Amino acid sequence: MSQVASVGAQGSDGILVVDDIVKRFETAEGPLTAVDHVSLSVKPGEFLAVIGPSGCGKSTLFNIVGGLVDSYEGTVTVAGDRVRGPHPAIGMVFQEESTFPWRSVIDNVAFPLEITGMRKTERLERASHFISLVGLDGFERRYPAELSGGMRQRVSIARTLASEPKILLMDEPFAALDEQTRLLLGDKVLQIQQELQQTTLLITHNITEAVQLADRILVMTYRPGRVKRIVDIDLPRPRSSEIVSSEAFGHYVAQIWGDLREEASRGMRDEETRRKA
Amino acid sequence: MSAAVQHRLIERWLPALLGFGTLIVFLVAVEVLIRVGLINRYIVPLPTQIAAAFGRVVVDEDIVGRFRLTFIESFAAGAMITIIGVLVGMLLYRFPLWRRATETWVAALASAPTVLMYPLFLVIFGRSAWTIIMMGFVAGFPPVVLKTIEGLVTTRSVLVNVGRSLNLSSVQLFTKILFPAALPTIFTGVRLGLIFTLINVVGVEFLINFGGLGQLINDLAERYDLPGTYAAIFFVILVSILFFIAIEKAERWLRPAG
Amino acid sequence: MAETGRLSAAPSFNLRADPVLALRVAIIIAVLVLWQAVAASGLLYRDVVPSLFAIGGALVKLLTSPEYYRNLGVTAGEVGAALLIGGLSGLVVGLILGGSRLLARAYEPYLYYLGPTPKIIFFPIMIMWFGVGPGSKVAMGAISCFFPIALSAAAGMRQIEPILIRVGKSFRANTWQMVSKIYLPAMRHPIINGVRLGLGVAIIGTLLAETKLSNQGLGFLIIQAYSLFDMPRMYAMLIALFMIAIAANAVVGWVGNLDRVKAGAS
Repeated sequence: MSQVASVGAQGSDGILVVDDIVKRFETAEGPLTAVDHVSLSVKPGEFLAVIGPSGCGKSTLFNIVGGLVDSYEGTVTVAGDRVRGPHPAIGMVFQEESTFPWRSVIDNVAFPLEITGMRKTERLERASHFISLVGLDGFERRYPAELSGGMRQRVSIARTLASEPKILLMDEPFAALDEQTRLLLGDKVLQIQQELQQTTLLITHNITEAVQLADRILVMTYRPGRVKRIVDIDLPRPRSSEIVSSEAFGHYVAQIWGDLREEASRGMRDEETRRKA
Repeated sequence: MSAAVQHRLIERWLPALLGFGTLIVFLVAVEVLIRVGLINRYIVPLPTQIAAAFGRVVVDEDIVGRFRLTFIESFAAGAMITIIGVLVGMLLYRFPLWRRATETWVAALASAPTVLMYPLFLVIFGRSAWTIIMMGFVAGFPPVVLKTIEGLVTTRSVLVNVGRSLNLSSVQLFTKILFPAALPTIFTGVRLGLIFTLINVVGVEFLINFGGLGQLINDLAERYDLPGTYAAIFFVILVSILFFIAIEKAERWLRPAG
Repeated sequence: MAETGRLSAAPSFNLRADPVLALRVAIIIAVLVLWQAVAASGLLYRDVVPSLFAIGGALVKLLTSPEYYRNLGVTAGEVGAALLIGGLSGLVVGLILGGSRLLARAYEPYLYYLGPTPKIIFFPIMIMWFGVGPGSKVAMGAISCFFPIALSAAAGMRQIEPILIRVGKSFRANTWQMVSKIYLPAMRHPIINGVRLGLGVAIIGTLLAETKLSNQGLGFLIIQAYSLFDMPRMYAMLIALFMIAIAANAVVGWVGNLDRVKAGAS
């Protein structure tokens, strides 16, 4: 694993440090190693994207860092504090539709503040700040059923930001959206991330999205999920979705696709063999 | 492989064992609490006494005859709800205007406390099996009608179009396509109807002190036969549960695959 | 059929334009006329079919007598207490069973099969435990509504979207917050539906117990009318009771739909 060795060196300046994680599952076809000796480190204010084909264990990694999975090998630390269970410094944005249908937009966003016991007037004030940050002013009293999928996902992001996490952890937050909405929402996330200097860890399978948003991209292998390569994205900031048309952008996309292609086709073949069986 | 078998055994038997075990522990606890005097034995008889009373109740109280009477009443009411209910459902399907005018009324009847009409039926039919049968009918009739309509209305239109394309007459269309397609839903309606019928038959037997199993409980309670009353209640509950399981199995067996 | 679409789009009380309404009115009038004819002729069930005027008169008399409202109050209190006791215990049991696969598989079959048994046969035992007064009636209502509420709550809990639970955990909600802010609101529709079913059977359980043995309440009034052979009064009482039951059912349904109305969604 020479590749791993070359990228596994831990930056001591990381605020989020994932060290040598191994996670195995028992399946009907025998034990499966989903995450295999993965280490990574995110610096304060940095935007790190983890990219990999379906089945590379990146969602498992998301749940481990978020503290929703236990019984794994290795450690996750936030500013030196070991993560055991959901950590107050980490805010999670999920891939699935996760707004509470029985709460209005503002009550959805105020939810984490309600959990910590903040007074009502104060938490509503804070919530409306984050609602306008994601550009949903005027929708405070609406219910999720009245919003589009993209708007609902912005509510989820605002809700997580309202808890003011040191680290924003996102699992394919735009997976359910169409390409144009995804690019525009990416702009919104970039703008917010730059404004708040938000340390962010994004899990995705979308190359354009990863290059558009991240400072560094960690490419994972297909089953077992290992670190294949880490790519620094030297694109200027502040960025927007217009960068998609630049030559440098295309270069990065091609480079990452070169890495991913092998993994993705291995995953595809694997999937086909399993279906035949 | 053997691990999988073992796993399945645990999945299957552990919950059943836990449920049944809890029941036994509960009964033993009641027995002990009564014996040490923490529960008044003139309010709750010893479980062992109840178990002993079981045999006595079955032999002395003509359980077979009572069971037969309750069964005949339920069967009569069940036959009525099935035949009349399905017929009415079919007619209401055939005449959509009538359906739209009366379907909500039938639904209201299904959720209304119609069993409270038993004194009225008592006046009409007297203290006889007919009061009980009619009360059973009133309870079971609405779900059969509603489910029959639902089954016919929700038949997939492509099936009906297949029949039309084969130039089936409207009678053929009904007997060959609509009715078979609606049958599973109709069975569900009949099963629900039978449950409501049985509840009312036994309940009204108890209330008007006439007839089969329901009256038995009333009899024993009026004689202050405490273990006997408890035993009879357990017996009726057991019979009801066996009945529910039987019609559930019957429905699954009769229901065409799919 | 195309015609009906147009009609339902613009509901009107014009009998000529609305055949469904016209038919309903026709059925009601036909039944009333037939009833009155039978009553006037005295051919069939002479005493069982009183004249409509006698029933109407009895209904007016009933609804204007303070005695009726006193008994209505007694029954309403009993049903309310039954719903509170049976409903809360059903909710707790449902939450426990919904939260554990093992416990659900161990105990839910018992609830599932005990649920539809005739509860009224427990009345003799309830009289021994809680006496002949309101206590045994409350117990009957509580036993009746416990089962549908427990079963709906258990099923409702299993239907909660797992993602909503993960969100709650990710924000470090404690157990009480998870229950009050995630589980219960996410289960609101099955719970309301269970309460609706529970209310119906609680009314039945309580009133049946009153008809069997009591000296107050609506069930007592009905059985009293029976023993006095006052048929108009019995009809009046049944009509009033059905109206109350339908109204109670509608109120619970309306409460359950409040948030959907607010959300403007189906």
